[in-house]
Amino acid sequence: MSAEFVLFWVFAIATAMSALGVIVTKNPIASAMSLVATFFFLAGIYVLLWAHTVAVLQVMVYAGAIMVLFLFVIMLLSLGEDTSMTKFSPTRIIGGVATAGLLAALVLAFRKLPEASTGWAASVDQLKAFGTLSQLGDVLYKQWLFPFEAVSLLLLVAIVGAVVVAKPRI
Amino acid sequence: MQRIGVVGFICGLIVSAIFGAMAAAYGLAGFLEKTLVEKLGIQGGAGIGNMLILMLVFVMVIATLLTLAERKWSALMQDRIGPNRARINLPGLRDQSLAGLPHIATDVIKMLTKEDFQPKAANKFLFNLAPMLAFAPAFALFAIVPAGPTLPVLGYQVQMSVANPDFGLLYIFAIASLAVYGTSLAGWASNNKFALLGGVRASSQMISYEVALGLSLVGMMLAFSTVQLAGPTGMSELQGGYLWRFTEVGGFDVGIPAWGFLLQPLGFVLFFAASFAETKRAPFDVPEGESEIIGYFVEYSGMKFGLFMIAEFVEVVVLAGVIVAIFFGGYYLPFGNEWLKAQTVFVEQPWLLGAVFGTVFWVKVVLLCYVQLAIRWTFPRFRYDQIQTLGWKILLPVGLLNVFVTGAVILWALPEGAATLPAAALIPFLQPLAIVGLVEIAVVVALTLTPREGAESAHADGHGHGHTDTHAPAPSHGATPVASSH
Repeated sequence: MSAEFVLFWVFAIATAMSALGVIVTKNPIASAMSLVATFFFLAGIYVLLWAHTVAVLQVMVYAGAIMVLFLFVIMLLSLGEDTSMTKFSPTRIIGGVATAGLLAALVLAFRKLPEASTGWAASVDQLKAFGTLSQLGDVLYKQWLFPFEAVSLLLLVAIVGAVVVAKPRI
Repeated sequence: MQRIGVVGFICGLIVSAIFGAMAAAYGLAGFLEKTLVEKLGIQGGAGIGNMLILMLVFVMVIATLLTLAERKWSALMQDRIGPNRARINLPGLRDQSLAGLPHIATDVIKMLTKEDFQPKAANKFLFNLAPMLAFAPAFALFAIVPAGPTLPVLGYQVQMSVANPDFGLLYIFAIASLAVYGTSLAGWASNNKFALLGGVRASSQMISYEVALGLSLVGMMLAFSTVQLAGPTGMSELQGGYLWRFTEVGGFDVGIPAWGFLLQPLGFVLFFAASFAETKRAPFDVPEGESEIIGYFVEYSGMKFGLFMIAEFVEVVVLAGVIVAIFFGGYYLPFGNEWLKAQTVFVEQPWLLGAVFGTVFWVKVVLLCYVQLAIRWTFPRFRYDQIQTLGWKILLPVGLLNVFVTGAVILWALPEGAATLPAAALIPFLQPLAIVGLVEIAVVVALTLTPREGAESAHADGHGHGHTDTHAPAPSHGATPVASSH
């Protein structure tokens, strides 16, 4: 049993447990912190997949920026423990059915995956170079430049939109 | 005259202690690397040695001494004596205050023996987790900062940083952005309205300044076309090169070094301001806000409060280390580096060279720590809206402008086929960027020296003679509540 294998199961179980914590805990802050933990363990799995740049970006963007904003909003609204969590409502039932459907689709898709899927990397050196920052930059700014810029324009539009919507109230 | 001698002796003692510790660091790192490679076949033993010496010894010892230094320096600035009451009850030492050094021990004893109080309605788990979350990111930040050059020791190339990932500075941004969880969770889990206010203030302030923090370093990444700090193509190593090289006097190289603050003065100021805001120290101390809300750690006592406090000082040390590595030439002297490297004693014993450069690094770090303490005790606090205005309306646009100007100058200055040249060969091509930087420095100096309109009357009002007396005691101001009692 290799060290990689052990690490995978550590990260995988921890990811699943903390993801479960997000929906099981009643306290919104504890829920948000579980999500932060999920992102961390997921970053560990990215590292095992040779994508360490994606891992550090995951920690930086999701755990470090987006979840901080979540936490900030939760604290600002000072949401208490919501007792309506146990009630059934139409949206909850639809959500449950959709989740089950997604899970079924994923399971079916995984069963059709070919067995040996590591053929994309010819050597260890190629694997090492795969996840580096320079490789990512190369792909992002040469191969996918237009989609990248288009997405950044989308973010700009979103910011301007937020300002326009909030302007009368400021 | 005798006092100058004593101060000189103590400074010499500190520098030689740093030198010895750095020599030991190279020795231990080389030994661990050699042992692990030969016994287990694993590389990276040097990183373990560096973790032990650089992080646990250097960073922690400097941070601990800073708790005393802050109180002594603040006392000096406010015309007080500062902590001097703790004594060691041994013959000959009873009448010696030892510059207040025993206060460090008394502080530790006090914090460890105090009652560990927990508010009844607090969320126990998060309440206990918060101090750890505040301390760990600040401490872990130092992992990629190189304290010395990569040198062969015991036949193995030994690097003087814990790790050198290829995403370099992204690690700093990622870990620095996690520091906010400690403070905001401490504020929330305490179940105290003042603490909650502190936590909310901390998170909003840190979110605001993270954007400027990231933008401020883009210029340096462009200039050296790397995001790494350590290693042969890292920023610290490249700053050993010269922008302008003057004639050498007897093999001793002199020139204007390619230090980051010459290439990117604006980037340096932005980074310093933004990262200072991230440490939550005055003038950016609204999360603490002693005079109004006491802060996010109001419910903490004993060593849990101590963790918040020491995290702040660790942040000061780490920030100084990062700034030295990026903007102040890392472990290099401003001149004579090549002359040093060529000396026979250093060629034969590379670890000695490493210890010399390591000493240079830590001396720079200590000096920058002093600058930070001086800023903390001389600047008045910002109001909350001023902090947000500074972050979003000044630092962010200036940072964006800096990125565009730097990018344009570099694009114009670099020769054809620059991507294929080694990074060290590109340093002379950065001269136009340095000229832009020097112009920026000149403008800032000129603006600072120009008297403002109506400055005369403000001078007469604000700096009158009696004014200093009213401010001298400043009893309630200090991150360390113990400091105010002296």
